[in-house]
Amino acid sequence: MRFNEKEMVSLSRQPSEMAAELGMRGPKKGDVVKRRLVKLVVNFLFYFRIDEEEPIGALLLEQCRVEKEDKQTFSIAFLDEAERKYVFECDSEDQCKEWIDAIIKASYEFMRKNLIFYRTEIHRLTGKDPLEQYGISDEARFQVSNGLQALPRESSSL
Amino acid sequence: MHSKFSFFVTVFFTTSFSIFRMKVHEKLLTHYLSCTSPVDKEGYLNKKKMRTATFQRRWFVLKANLLFYQERPADRHLLGVIVLEGCAVRCLAAEEQFAFSLVFGPGLKTYTFAAENRQAQESWVEALMSASHCYLSLLVKNLEREYEEAKQQHGCRAASSSSSALSLSMNRISLAVPGPSVDVREWRSFSASAVLQAPLASTKAATKKSPKLWSRRNAYVTPLNGPALPYGEWSMQEFSQLHDYYGQEVERVREEWLKSKRVEDDTSEEDLIDLG
Repeated sequence: MRFNEKEMVSLSRQPSEMAAELGMRGPKKGDVVKRRLVKLVVNFLFYFRIDEEEPIGALLLEQCRVEKEDKQTFSIAFLDEAERKYVFECDSEDQCKEWIDAIIKASYEFMRKNLIFYRTEIHRLTGKDPLEQYGISDEARFQVSNGLQALPRESSSL
Repeated sequence: MHSKFSFFVTVFFTTSFSIFRMKVHEKLLTHYLSCTSPVDKEGYLNKKKMRTATFQRRWFVLKANLLFYQERPADRHLLGVIVLEGCAVRCLAAEEQFAFSLVFGPGLKTYTFAAENRQAQESWVEALMSASHCYLSLLVKNLEREYEEAKQQHGCRAASSSSSALSLSMNRISLAVPGPSVDVREWRSFSASAVLQAPLASTKAATKKSPKLWSRRNAYVTPLNGPALPYGEWSMQEFSQLHDYYGQEVERVREEWLKSKRVEDDTSEEDLIDLG
């Protein structure tokens, strides 16, 4: 599968409030903890070998479950496979909580739900659609129904 | 002997072409594509193959800030994905009809597509322009602020309808807002994306804008391990002001384009929007 790697590497170099050296362990049996520079940019978790400029991997933070494992450790489970987890070791409990919070809030779907909530509430309180000022009221991705169901497929021209 | 030789050949080719591949965890991407989260747009587009400059018909699925593509809708094999951060969306009229591009900037890729008709072209351009995570993040921040203000001002007044009735009425709101043209959105996706290319914005308005605002965006090119800058610096005021400012310019240009469109036939050689 192809992806825009160069552009993703460029993305991984953007400033981020959440960038730190953490202990990182993969999900497979036998995976050991390795020290990595872990960096949260948009809805991707990039990880680098220490002092390297290009990331060795990127994890898409959608449809995943973030959990606190113990005081300073959190995990991210993907693919509905609760047993297949990436584990991250932090230096403090505060740091651990900060990361959990940041990762949850980084998900695009999480943000979309928030947007729809605010849009609905602002309209309820003020009678105005707040997206009107941006000219995007009709954008499919911001519709109130979006949080509930998938959109009907567009008829494809064959 | 044979295996040693093929190993050597592999290493040689690997280093020659510098094939360093960041692990992008394909399974996570394909899983997200097939899960029940909303599809923001899907359909056939012709995708330009860079090396041969030919177009190939592909089925595209836009979900969140990810543009997936495969040969046909039913295919299980995903050909690729484009992460839509830090790119501008541009309408083109030069080569193929109903063409548009995703421009990532100097040293980075430009993807070119051709839609089947004007409506599809416009629809895709609009959908892609509001696709980035950065853009959504900015919107949510602004709306959060508005929500807090609305709560303070109006919160005491009891709502007359239940929230479920209101969500229905929200769907029925058909606001006849003419979509802002490419240029306003181009600004948005650039400014929100922290990959700055102010000079690329080809509106005349660019030169009138205070350099002070844009040089701040330049500060986003920081060393990897340097101090992180605050992620969403834009205030709602700046955002609205910029929107109004470019909105006016854009409305004027759009008027002119609509007039010229009625006069010309479809095979125009010029840019869809004449930026002078």
